[in-house]
Amino acid sequence: MNFPFVAIVGQEELKTALMLNVVDPGIGGLLIAGEKGTAKSTAVRALADLLPEQTVVHECRFYCDPEGELCSLCRERIEQSELETSRKKMKVVELPLGITEDRLIGTLDIEHALKHGEKRFEPGLLADANRNFLYVDEVNLLEDHIIDLLLDSAAMGINTVEREGISFTHPARFILVGSMNPEEGELRPQLLDRFGLSVGVTGLHDKTQRMAVLQRKAAFDENPAAFCARWENEQNALRQRIVNARDGLPHIEVTDPVLEKIVAITAAMHLDGHRPDIVMMKAARALTALRGQKSIGNQEIHDAAIFALPHRQKRLPFEERGGRDKLLKVLEDCLG
Amino acid sequence: MKFSQFVGQDNAKLGVILNALEPRCGGLLLVGAKGSGKSTLIRLARGIFPVITPFVEIPLNITEDSLLGGIDIEQSMREGRRIFLQGLIPRAAGGILFVDDINLLPQELLAPLMAFNGGGDELQTCPGSVQQLPRDCCVMGTMNPEEGDIQPHYLDRFGLCAVMDELPDCEKRLDVLRIFREMPNFQVESDPSLMAMVATAKKHLPEVKVGTAELENISAVAVRNPSHGHRGELFLFYAARAYAALQGHDRIAQSDIERVSELVFVHRRLHTSEEHSDLPQDEKHRESATDQMSPPEPEKKAQSMDADFSLKPRGSAVTASGAEETMSIGNPFQVRRLSFKKDRLKRHAAGKRSKTHSLGKGGRHVRSTMNSAEQDIAIDATLRACAPYQKSRGREVKLIIERDDWRFRQRERKTGHLVIFAVDGSGSMGARRRMVAAKGAIQSLLTDCYQKRDKVAMIVFRQDCAELVLPPTSSVELASKRLSTLPVGGKTPLAAGLLETFRLIKRFGVRHPETRFLTVLITDGKGNQSITVDSDHREEEQELCKLLSAEPKCDFVVVDTESKDNFIKTDMAVRLAENLGAEYYTVEALRAELLSELIQSKNRD
Repeated sequence: MNFPFVAIVGQEELKTALMLNVVDPGIGGLLIAGEKGTAKSTAVRALADLLPEQTVVHECRFYCDPEGELCSLCRERIEQSELETSRKKMKVVELPLGITEDRLIGTLDIEHALKHGEKRFEPGLLADANRNFLYVDEVNLLEDHIIDLLLDSAAMGINTVEREGISFTHPARFILVGSMNPEEGELRPQLLDRFGLSVGVTGLHDKTQRMAVLQRKAAFDENPAAFCARWENEQNALRQRIVNARDGLPHIEVTDPVLEKIVAITAAMHLDGHRPDIVMMKAARALTALRGQKSIGNQEIHDAAIFALPHRQKRLPFEERGGRDKLLKVLEDCLG
Repeated sequence: MKFSQFVGQDNAKLGVILNALEPRCGGLLLVGAKGSGKSTLIRLARGIFPVITPFVEIPLNITEDSLLGGIDIEQSMREGRRIFLQGLIPRAAGGILFVDDINLLPQELLAPLMAFNGGGDELQTCPGSVQQLPRDCCVMGTMNPEEGDIQPHYLDRFGLCAVMDELPDCEKRLDVLRIFREMPNFQVESDPSLMAMVATAKKHLPEVKVGTAELENISAVAVRNPSHGHRGELFLFYAARAYAALQGHDRIAQSDIERVSELVFVHRRLHTSEEHSDLPQDEKHRESATDQMSPPEPEKKAQSMDADFSLKPRGSAVTASGAEETMSIGNPFQVRRLSFKKDRLKRHAAGKRSKTHSLGKGGRHVRSTMNSAEQDIAIDATLRACAPYQKSRGREVKLIIERDDWRFRQRERKTGHLVIFAVDGSGSMGARRRMVAAKGAIQSLLTDCYQKRDKVAMIVFRQDCAELVLPPTSSVELASKRLSTLPVGGKTPLAAGLLETFRLIKRFGVRHPETRFLTVLITDGKGNQSITVDSDHREEEQELCKLLSAEPKCDFVVVDTESKDNFIKTDMAVRLAENLGAEYYTVEALRAELLSELIQSKNRD
């Protein structure tokens, strides 16, 4: 049983950033940087209980979206008949650090090959992660060749497998969530850029908050079921809020003036590439939906920038990260 | 989204179109920072080729047999004889092979891929199978130079290359954003108008006249862009002709040649600019390999992605406050690739500098072998090996596998290195701003360590002790931070510095036995402080040097910071280097002499 999401004390930025990714999975994930013991993993695991249902192809191992990109099997199936659909809850899939290549991307199904003399694709973790959250704890310690593979599939949301005579493609649009302790090593810039949003997490300093953490954790350890039951109403309210935001998202219009403000900010920050612009646009819209508003305001653009830009800020190779002052100043200049 | 909707990056777009028109242009490499649209552009290229054109994507997870072809298990099992399965390369005949992040593709797979792009026509895959390779297909690749280089040898095989470092202005950024607003789900659409344009030009291509005058013009442009070999000219010819056809010209005009020359030469151009003019001629040639990616014009270079990785000089304002001061970091310079040869020891660790065969079951499964001490059976390869014989062995239900069929996995990982910087922080380093130069040298080495994912540690010895200011970490950033605040002043406890280094190697070696160590000792060698009160510091130093040089898997570099134009130079560091069996460099020489070579030659295993 997971610790209830709503019972996590403080860490509002972290919680909001996670929810934004549920509201719009296209935002592209979240990087959580912070010291140990600051509820990073707890929050991600707790998120699992809030996740909504989505429509998938019935009994597809890749949770294909009937309206979107299909896997090799579903493409064959659709030739013959209409695809059956069913509803499935989104989930959080964890990627262990020691994972092998085969296990991650999938490979030849040996058992089937031996028994029947036929080649069949044995799906890997990326299959499971399609349209779900893929969580990597200590992502900065992940081995290089595994990162390469992750980048490769993350780039276009498709896992193309060409191994041992097997050819298979399936959608792999996972929402990558990584947590790391920056003291233990850096993340490669290319992987860094793949994370839509980032938040920095620090321990709570307020005494009452620290007390609350202690009390709640102790109560949860004592009797998880009773503790969760106590928070169930609030959990339900949040679930409903997320569903509403997901429904409302397509109705929020991104006007040209909003785009102009976004571009003014990213241009002033001298950011590489177009991903920052796109992520900021999506984050601002999702924030608006989550807050139950009708149109994107300056506050939403401001907050979206705080989520989407800090880890993309250009810096000399060894310069300190952050430079939040600069960002805040640019935001003030551009948004008034 | 259509190809022609792609905003900006005209060179890259032209490169794609030229290849669509004339496959002899030799493929295209797109070089750009993250998020510059490299992969998007190549995927959009699908839309300007006719639907029947094969468009084969090579994922980084590909195995050798899938790339080149191997035995078809299914068919072989059914028929009881070997039946070959086509690899991906032959499947791309007349079309495009697309490799995203080609610089991350394992070397052993890049080699056959690029050999073929150069026009090889036969390829031996597995024993008994020679595959005919298509001639009319091209490789399109993308790379982000931040993630590492591609070897110059393979770079040269790409006919065209476009550097996507264009800084989009606000208007262009807005255009891109609008596209993403309209199309939340990226999908490639075909681009009939552009396709028609290419088709027309293709028809016109054979009619473009090429006379002696045109060839002369091409040679003249090639001479202006010095490069190795003749590939450049050849590709320039094909590209210029294709461009002329696209423009509807009857002859190759000078302007056609000029337009495509940047695409042909950007990755081949040798560095003849003033920055390397102090190097001897042959050095220049080799030098060109490392930083070819940056366009030669200095103002353009400042924006290129390479520039992100070469620190701009920081201000050299130093305040001298009493005996202790902190020196700014001197100008770092491009260090050539430090690299060790692949050795035959088996190790466990991950890193990027040298490859090694790994013990245990992690690492990339590179290939299967017939014999191996480890019993890590490659079931797939074993299956393939036994498949053809099943009928003759009388298989009914279960497979019949004999000892001869067994195949084993060979895996490969990159070993980790710990680079230890032992820095002299004594007062003599403060004199004549030597520390500034030394810091510059360290900074350059750190950049290299970052790209190779080495761990680094830093020891400073000054006043009367040595201190591990940075325990082994892979955060090069932290190292750099420590470096900038390194104080100087006081005596030179060289012996203590050596001792601390020795202890660190011992300590770290116990927990990480597979690590190789590289110690960079930055000092003038003038030790004047012993560890214990009544012993001679020179004897201590010698003893420690003996201990250190006896350590296996350790290499040493001494960087001498003594200023050599001084007539009272002592060359103490030379002696230190001799005692350690270290390579010796002066700070000044570090710039010209290339660090890579010295370290490459130090492979003792």
